[in-house]
Amino acid sequence: MKNVLAMILAGGRVDELDVLTFLRPKSVLPFGALYRIIDFPMSNLMNSGIERVGILSQYRPFYLINHIANGQPWDMVGRNRFAVILPPFKGREASDWYKGTADAVYRNIDFIKMYNPDLVLILSGDHIYKMDYLDVINYHVEKKADLTIAFTPTPREGPGRFGQGLIEGQDPTGGRLVEYIEKPKKRVLDWASLTIYVFNQKVLLDALEENAGKDSHEFGKDIIPSLLGNSRIFGYKHIGYWGYTRTLEEYWRTSMDLLGDRAQIDLKSWQIRTNLAHREIRDRQPTIFGPASTVTDSLVHSGCLVKGKVSRSLLFPGAVVEEGAVVEDSILFFDTKVAKGARVTRTITDIGVAIGRSAIVGGPGGKLSVIGMESSLPEEIEVHDGVTIYPNVPADHFTQREYSSGEVVK
Amino acid sequence: MRKVMALLLAGGVGSRLNILVQYRAKPAVPFGGIYRIIDFTLSNIANCGLTRVAVLTQYKPLSLMDHIGDGSAWDLAGRTRGISILPPKTGEKDWDWYKGTADAVRQNMSFLSSGQNTEALILSGDHVYCMDYGPLVQFHRANRAHVTIGMIRVPWGETRHFGTGTLDGENRIVDWEEKSKRARSNLASMGIYVFDRDYLVTTLSETKEEDFGSQIIPRALKGAKVFGYPFEGYWRDVGTIDAYWDANMDLLRPGSGLSPEACGIRTNQSADQLPYDRPPVRIIGSAHVANAAVSPGCVIQGSVENSILSPGVIIEKGAFVKDSIIMHDAKVGKGTRIERSIIDKEASIGEESVIGQGNPRVANARFPDHVYSGLTLIGKRASIPSHSRIGTNCIVHPDVREDDFPSRELADGGTQEK
Repeated sequence: MKNVLAMILAGGRVDELDVLTFLRPKSVLPFGALYRIIDFPMSNLMNSGIERVGILSQYRPFYLINHIANGQPWDMVGRNRFAVILPPFKGREASDWYKGTADAVYRNIDFIKMYNPDLVLILSGDHIYKMDYLDVINYHVEKKADLTIAFTPTPREGPGRFGQGLIEGQDPTGGRLVEYIEKPKKRVLDWASLTIYVFNQKVLLDALEENAGKDSHEFGKDIIPSLLGNSRIFGYKHIGYWGYTRTLEEYWRTSMDLLGDRAQIDLKSWQIRTNLAHREIRDRQPTIFGPASTVTDSLVHSGCLVKGKVSRSLLFPGAVVEEGAVVEDSILFFDTKVAKGARVTRTITDIGVAIGRSAIVGGPGGKLSVIGMESSLPEEIEVHDGVTIYPNVPADHFTQREYSSGEVVK
Repeated sequence: MRKVMALLLAGGVGSRLNILVQYRAKPAVPFGGIYRIIDFTLSNIANCGLTRVAVLTQYKPLSLMDHIGDGSAWDLAGRTRGISILPPKTGEKDWDWYKGTADAVRQNMSFLSSGQNTEALILSGDHVYCMDYGPLVQFHRANRAHVTIGMIRVPWGETRHFGTGTLDGENRIVDWEEKSKRARSNLASMGIYVFDRDYLVTTLSETKEEDFGSQIIPRALKGAKVFGYPFEGYWRDVGTIDAYWDANMDLLRPGSGLSPEACGIRTNQSADQLPYDRPPVRIIGSAHVANAAVSPGCVIQGSVENSILSPGVIIEKGAFVKDSIIMHDAKVGKGTRIERSIIDKEASIGEESVIGQGNPRVANARFPDHVYSGLTLIGKRASIPSHSRIGTNCIVHPDVREDDFPSRELADGGTQEK
């Protein structure tokens, strides 16, 4: 097998996720009643046997460092196995934050040279999917490609989010990439980039060196177009579930794909691992369902106490739903507490949120409501759909009894 | 507490737990969904800051050793902390199995007498409880005792299982009986002893006595300062099927006093060698889950009432599980009804079967002392065919296969062997 070094672009915070990424990079956003988004590429790497990983991070890296730890949750500890965080560092020039995806990798060129891999696999840390990276790597080797990019059929909805490509021929596995347009407004080409790149080391380093002098440093916008036409670039067609988490609505919909008897995401067969020491998951007891609980189509991890009604929802470790409380179509992060008689609908509550007795939060049909980390909603408050509450808002900060659609509480 | 060494006696056979201990030592029996019995003692040890720990094993130690690993699950691995596993070893004689609790410690005299420790805390891995040994050790030191015994009130009817003692006004033990049916006191030994280390070394060197409860303690009462430390809190001896089932159910009884997470009980979840972490519990459709403890990795489409589910249990559509304990990765098929049963790991129960219903007064014919209270045991990896009827007080041995079971019927009190 070729010598592969993986690099995960995990640094960004995404504005569309609003208060959920105020205090953490998106890659450690909780997902699936137990995991963090970065657990998906990390587990895919582990299951593909790629165990040398550099993680590029710059936004509030503490949470990411805490989660990745020494790589041990993914067995990436050993003489030739590692998972390391590569934060930006101060160089000779004034501003040294990463200036784009390609810049982030360029700044860590020493890291690549030190391990001197044949191939560099570049991933982004914000998708929910199962993939054996060896499939795309083997394809890359077989085609003697310089760069291979994984693609999926361009979705009808929101095609403007993707780089789009035209792949030559009808081979179901892939083909030569003949055209590439970064994030056009409409659906113009058949294949959408999954931002998974397999580069020959030399091709990558040369392209990064050449790009370094320019003023834009993105793989999609700059590197791929610069290589197209003068290098062997192939498109690999990936078939399988692909979950996006870019906006609140997308994140919520991807989460709902975990539920029901036809769940599109089968966590067990995907063999996902997380860091069980993070948030003390491993020390939590089995979840207790009270005598009068009702639960329908939901995921619940350990350490929860469910005495009320829960349907089509995800409960992370330590979530509490008291007697008479109703939680529907919602996602409760770690240690959220929903007090007696409260009603929570189409709402995402971040870690440590408390919802007071008989409060009403969110509403069916409308926009999602979202409550930031450690905020506390007072008893009997009414918070309509589409309301945003910032992190760390204490209960006595709420001056109104009612907050209507679209309001933001800071 | 760093001056105290802990010796955990984990060699007990626990034969009254019947097929639950066919493949494992009693301390390794699963408990409360994700735990094993020994987790309670190991966590108590770690939580009170003890750093030098020996686990004395003997009987079927494999699952126990796997589970303990390097001790890091209890934060007992490091430069100045560690768990030593001490199995019996051949010495001068051919036959050097531990002959009793005191003999086990004697055979590890080199461990006992090494190090800078001033006290040895002798514990057993057989009990479910939450206890800070700190006050016990302080009490021992304040009394300048040779031996201090952790003691707890038990129901009068149960004194015959324990050593019992009477304390004077200073908590010194003035009267002792071993397993008496008509005990003069119901203050029972918890099998927890703090020994002055030098006193213990001397005593074990001078005698050949093999058991703490029946020999070493009575001897100490004659000439040494022996105190009783009365403990109030949750403590259960889970040595019988009945007591084991009941203590598990305490997890579901508000106010029972059993709350493993609150008192910091930890387990080693990576010991089951899965390539992935157990995913969240999946409730599919309108499952009915009431008064139940459910561990990660379970998939529930049927009904679960008043039961404890270990990780990875599958309850299919229309199945109904009541008053039962179901261990790791066991599967209950469609439409099957299970009542008052203990189903061991990886057992598979077919569809449309009925398990555990019958006349509870018919005790198990072969083990009337073990299985008599209307509970049925299904052994590890046993496979029960669809459309079976298994009564109450039944025992189905581990690894029983479907074709061991041609009649698909087991009457109350029956036993099915492989």
